[in-house]
Amino acid sequence: MTTTTAAPLSRLTSVGIVRSEWIKLRTLRSTVWSFAIVIVISIAFSLLFASVVSSDMGQVIGADGAQFVVVVVTAGISFSQLVVAVLGALVITGEYSTGMIRSTFAAVPHRIPALLGKALVLFVTTFVVGLISTFGPYFIVTPILASKGMESSIGDPDVFLPLIGGAFYLACVAIFSLAIGAILRNSAGGIAVALGAILVLPILVSIIPADWATTLGQYLFSNAGTGFYSPGLEFDFWQNLAIVAGWLVVLFAGASVLLKRRDA
Amino acid sequence: MGDETVQPSPYAGRMIHAEGLTKRYGSKVAVDSIDFTIRPGIVTGFLGPNGAGKSTTMRMILGLDRPTAGSVTVNGKHYADHAAPLREVGALLDAKAVHTGRTAYNHLLAMGATHGIGKSRVNEVIGLTGLDSVAGKRVGGFSLGMGQRLGIAAALLGDPATLILDEPVNGLDPEGVVWVRQLARFLAGEGRTIFLSSHLMSEMAQTADHLIVLGRGRIIADAPVAQILAGATRGAVKLKSPRASELAALLAAQDVVITSGSEGQLDVNGLTAAQIGEAAASAGIPLHELTPINASLEQAYMELTQGDVEYHSTAINPEGVAR
Repeated sequence: MTTTTAAPLSRLTSVGIVRSEWIKLRTLRSTVWSFAIVIVISIAFSLLFASVVSSDMGQVIGADGAQFVVVVVTAGISFSQLVVAVLGALVITGEYSTGMIRSTFAAVPHRIPALLGKALVLFVTTFVVGLISTFGPYFIVTPILASKGMESSIGDPDVFLPLIGGAFYLACVAIFSLAIGAILRNSAGGIAVALGAILVLPILVSIIPADWATTLGQYLFSNAGTGFYSPGLEFDFWQNLAIVAGWLVVLFAGASVLLKRRDA
Repeated sequence: MGDETVQPSPYAGRMIHAEGLTKRYGSKVAVDSIDFTIRPGIVTGFLGPNGAGKSTTMRMILGLDRPTAGSVTVNGKHYADHAAPLREVGALLDAKAVHTGRTAYNHLLAMGATHGIGKSRVNEVIGLTGLDSVAGKRVGGFSLGMGQRLGIAAALLGDPATLILDEPVNGLDPEGVVWVRQLARFLAGEGRTIFLSSHLMSEMAQTADHLIVLGRGRIIADAPVAQILAGATRGAVKLKSPRASELAALLAAQDVVITSGSEGQLDVNGLTAAQIGEAAASAGIPLHELTPINASLEQAYMELTQGDVEYHSTAINPEGVAR
């Protein structure tokens, strides 16, 4: 019976934690499915949108063709963000529901590095998938839109910046939802609250006929985040970024405190 | 002792040390200010009925549960403060502490990755625990026994100096039970600290060198196994005599419990058969039977934990069933 040959220098490191979380993320089917759905949704929506746009519309818009192309290409984000939100919550609530979290915290007993490792891996992966889901449709629908008189160039900052912004927003949604999942520790609850905050809250606030409600609406996570890829909102990119970052900082601070305090 | 030719064990001093360790859930006390030291080189058994606080104690050692009061250290430090926790302590606390959607191999790979432990070690512990044929399968379909083996594989990943196993033989087949027993003994033989819990006295008697018995969150006994067994199996003797009542009066003393049965039968607790025989002979009382009865291990354990059992089952009344 031999039991001893573990690498002599092995110890707990940040790089190791990130690598572990990457292995965990890529070895679950739910991850693969979620990201596949995000890409399929974005292509399907762009194609659908591009095919129903009439050439008249292109002429009406005329000079602002690039902006219109962006609207078409990012049309799927309002749906794919929901998939990403579910995935983000599951990344941690799935560990609570299966008991895996105890293995995670036994390996990373300070706990917060494990949460941050999850956040980093999820953010980067979702950002990359997000880029595929915005630039992919762009190259697919551009010929269709060009044939209807809406010209655009990928080298145009008004085109490529919103496309990157859309991917960035999806990545933010994923970790927003992760933090909520870490606080609630329950899949159903985490998903419900995350979707509620992203989808329902903006609608609720928008139907309140008051000035303060309009102002409040601009500070909601998803409204500010939408500003990363769609123009015409009150705030500029940096203001929206500050609002989104504020939400994330507060949620992760709360999650970290609870993670440290609670029994696993 | 002081012999300089003896190579010091690489695991020397790897003790688990608890002081005033307490865990309360609301008004319920799960672990009640316990102190203990678990030493390297031997198998220490942690014995107690379900709900006695064994698992809570083990979770506190790993920092998964925060003690309400007191503290517990491994090798002089809190578990979380070690540079390589998985190399310090390997633990099987719950065979279900695994994501059901991941394969056994990927689970171990992810666990090991935190500490830079790679594929070769993962394959090694898979081989060691006999999981080769199911390593590529998702854990959701595992039997309890396979789950236990995976838990033990995860515990061994870091080649730890201390091994903590909570009810490791639960759900294992007889061959698996023997394997865990041998593994525990082998690793203790290498000088490691082995701490394993069970609610079965018979299991502990075959595996452990030292026992800590827990009941209702308190330590009832902390002694070598042999000593606990000896203490618990002290004589019950069955005897028959035509002058039973006379003999009972003669034997009566403090710490001696005598129960009389029918037709001159007596059950004597607290005296050996030899003592009774000699007493009877010197008083000229004839004996028709004199049988020492050794309490079984289970009985010994029941005696130790009596009154400390959290969940009592109601005795089955055969008459009640018949009616």
